[in-house]
Amino acid sequence: MRLIIRDDAAQVGQYIANYICKRINDFKPTANRPFVLGLPTGSSPIPTYKALIKMVKEGKLSFKNVVTFNMDEYVALPRDHPESYHTFMFREFFSHVDIPPQQVHILDGNAHDLHAECAAYEQLIKSVGGIELFLGGIGEDGHIAFNEPGSSLKSRTRIKTLAYDTILANARFFNNDINAVPRMALTVGVQTVLESREVVVVVTGQRKALALSKAIEEGINHLWTLSALQQHPWALIVVDEDATLELRVKTVKYFKSIERVQDDVEKHHADLRAKGVGVVGGLGVGGLIGHGSWSGPGDD
Amino acid sequence: MSDAGDVQKTNGLVCFTNCLLPQEDGKLVERDLWVDEQRGVILDAQKTFFIRKERPDTVIDLGGNILSPGLIDIQINGAYNFDFSVYEGDDEAYLAGLDMVARRIVETGVTSLLPTIITQSSNLYPSLLRLLKPFTPAPDSRTGSAGGATMLGWHAEGPFLQPLKRGAHSNSLLRSAPDGWEDVQNVYGDSNLALNEDWQMQSEGGVRMVTIAPEVEGMMDVVAEMDRRGVVVSIGHSVASSDIATRALRKGARLITHLFNAMPQLHHRDPGIIGLIGASPASSPALAPVVAKRDSTGSVGATGTSSPATPSSPAFRAFTGHPIGVSRSKSGAIASEAMDDFETPPQTPMFRAFPSGFKTAHSRVTSLGEPSKLDLNETTVPLSSSPKEKVALKEVSTGSSSNLKDERPYYGIIVDGVHSHPNSVRLAYMAHQDGCILITDAMKILDPNMADGPHAWREDGPRFVKEGSRLYVEGHPETLAGSVITLDACVRNFVRFTGCSIGEALRCATYNPAKCLGIETRKGTLRAGADADLVVMDKQGNVLNTWVRGRKVWSKA
Repeated sequence: MRLIIRDDAAQVGQYIANYICKRINDFKPTANRPFVLGLPTGSSPIPTYKALIKMVKEGKLSFKNVVTFNMDEYVALPRDHPESYHTFMFREFFSHVDIPPQQVHILDGNAHDLHAECAAYEQLIKSVGGIELFLGGIGEDGHIAFNEPGSSLKSRTRIKTLAYDTILANARFFNNDINAVPRMALTVGVQTVLESREVVVVVTGQRKALALSKAIEEGINHLWTLSALQQHPWALIVVDEDATLELRVKTVKYFKSIERVQDDVEKHHADLRAKGVGVVGGLGVGGLIGHGSWSGPGDD
Repeated sequence: MSDAGDVQKTNGLVCFTNCLLPQEDGKLVERDLWVDEQRGVILDAQKTFFIRKERPDTVIDLGGNILSPGLIDIQINGAYNFDFSVYEGDDEAYLAGLDMVARRIVETGVTSLLPTIITQSSNLYPSLLRLLKPFTPAPDSRTGSAGGATMLGWHAEGPFLQPLKRGAHSNSLLRSAPDGWEDVQNVYGDSNLALNEDWQMQSEGGVRMVTIAPEVEGMMDVVAEMDRRGVVVSIGHSVASSDIATRALRKGARLITHLFNAMPQLHHRDPGIIGLIGASPASSPALAPVVAKRDSTGSVGATGTSSPATPSSPAFRAFTGHPIGVSRSKSGAIASEAMDDFETPPQTPMFRAFPSGFKTAHSRVTSLGEPSKLDLNETTVPLSSSPKEKVALKEVSTGSSSNLKDERPYYGIIVDGVHSHPNSVRLAYMAHQDGCILITDAMKILDPNMADGPHAWREDGPRFVKEGSRLYVEGHPETLAGSVITLDACVRNFVRFTGCSIGEALRCATYNPAKCLGIETRKGTLRAGADADLVVMDKQGNVLNTWVRGRKVWSKA
């Protein structure tokens, strides 16, 4: 796992955007071999989205051949509700970049059969060959996606009841009325995230500092679901100075020293990919059939 | 995208980006706007993306400029040398004139207008109004015209107007309606006043509007019927007192025609028509104000629930007693210089609201005949003098004026700096922002391309001189010959006059008029489903290009 520390949230966003931009461009996605990207909502990723939008407008990056999967969506909140994650993603990102709507996937919290919706989502991810890079954020209690404390670390996409903390935290988006906050959400599972080939997590602000410490300085613990990332072979956490407030000085210094050799690490990965070995080797992704359904041999 | 071949290749959706969108509340937000060129409507972008699974193939970068709903002029008498009021029996020539104006006016940012007919000979209305059906000119490949503004219907300014305030209207053509609705129907034509004109059912969203003086005999009785039939009633060219004007409002009148012009000036004791824009919640019947009357002993008792405009109120009697609406006060002491040709009726009730911000039900009336007895201590009732009052006050104290029914009308105002002083414009706007509607009231010589200097008016007779937005008879600079301001210039003036933002000024030329006319789901707004009538302006309000129903119809050279 790598931990990158930047001065503030804007620089964190810029760093991650640069990173994603490079990953997509290096991948050289085509219609038949799209880059599959997992995306979060919430305030943490907004600087990243802003920076990505700027790159698209400047012509440095295109989402024409990118397929996206969002992490989660509230249950029974109308799709065009101002606080729905459909609305968030459209407002903050999709409306500003050149992604074809057929390539965007967000769980349908108003589906008649929620279990079937979740199962189909997992299947859809598999059918496009799995997620290349999952971008995530965390809650103050260390949850990744809506995998609240106590979630199984082997969980897959499913219905999840929101923790009281999360409801309180989200009440500010619903006129401070906790009764108006949806009680349930559909979310990808911890295992779904862990199965993506790369995970990038943004953690900014003092309020997330304890969660960051629990996730990287202590053992794997289902009460801090982000800690499951410790078992991921290719994980990157990008934080601002405020988020490091609960970390040990030793931890911070260690990761800062690692960053100096980061370019070498990336170059090494690039070499591995070029040779067709390493973590991204051996994937087969088929062509596009119909609207939004991808088929191919997959990697299973 | 002007190329037809291009359109076929694309999905016909357009995204305007890098632009500021004026909202219905006057704010400007930086956001994209998605439009369907073929259907000519504004899209719900999010639904288009997630449900229709499309995004615009065409993206237009507006370079940070403003993308406003197209401007709406609800009072315009003509333009480009065509006078909407002149009909000489040739239908084709008249319709060609309308078409020409509709195609050219878009250079001023106007995408909808309501042709206004000044008082004509009564027998002319049935045929003239019948010609004024809503229409939007289609593209014309012969002339290269890409289309034009929507003609919304008609605005008949007259003939039921007050002779004392006739302005440019011909005295001999003004009339009253002693037989009420029957007279009105005879003048405008039955079919033109039908409950539902068939064209109103069509997609054009047509509008019918009349300006009347409610004190003219018979008019008060027809307001409600007009309103019921969907004809918008505006008060203008009138000397109506506060009582009469308020009564017309309650019967369904919706706005005031060219505020400050052709009406008595504001008098604080009887603010008349102008006073409606400051209508106090204390005079709302919803509160059933208790009118305290001073009796001979000086004690105070609640004796009635009269608020303005009951038929039995003294002021109303005074006016009905004098159909032309002139009432001379017996005492010269209260005559005001502000009143140009009539004086405040001395009987008008005056309400004293409590200090300290109560929109109180406890009003006091005193007579202007005994002003010297007015005394602040005497007229201030202790707030908790009786249990009954406590209850009443509790109800009131939980309310604010925003909880009370706002009975204030819309008002059209000419913002050329000539017809109303900038201070007056600001005063009106500060009093009632939600009701403000910018109008040009322009004459047929309106033509932004016309040079300053003398021009022929008719073939014979005096010439007129144009000096900026001022127009006067040659040799008589004091005799205004009407307005020649364009609506986009009104918007720019309005920003300077009132200190409001460009977004707030645009609201007064887009959303407010549309709302007043009841067409705010189609016009004057950027909400999804509305017509894609748009004007691109720089941040100073200069028109750069104009779109009607998703088609660009004008672009600055």
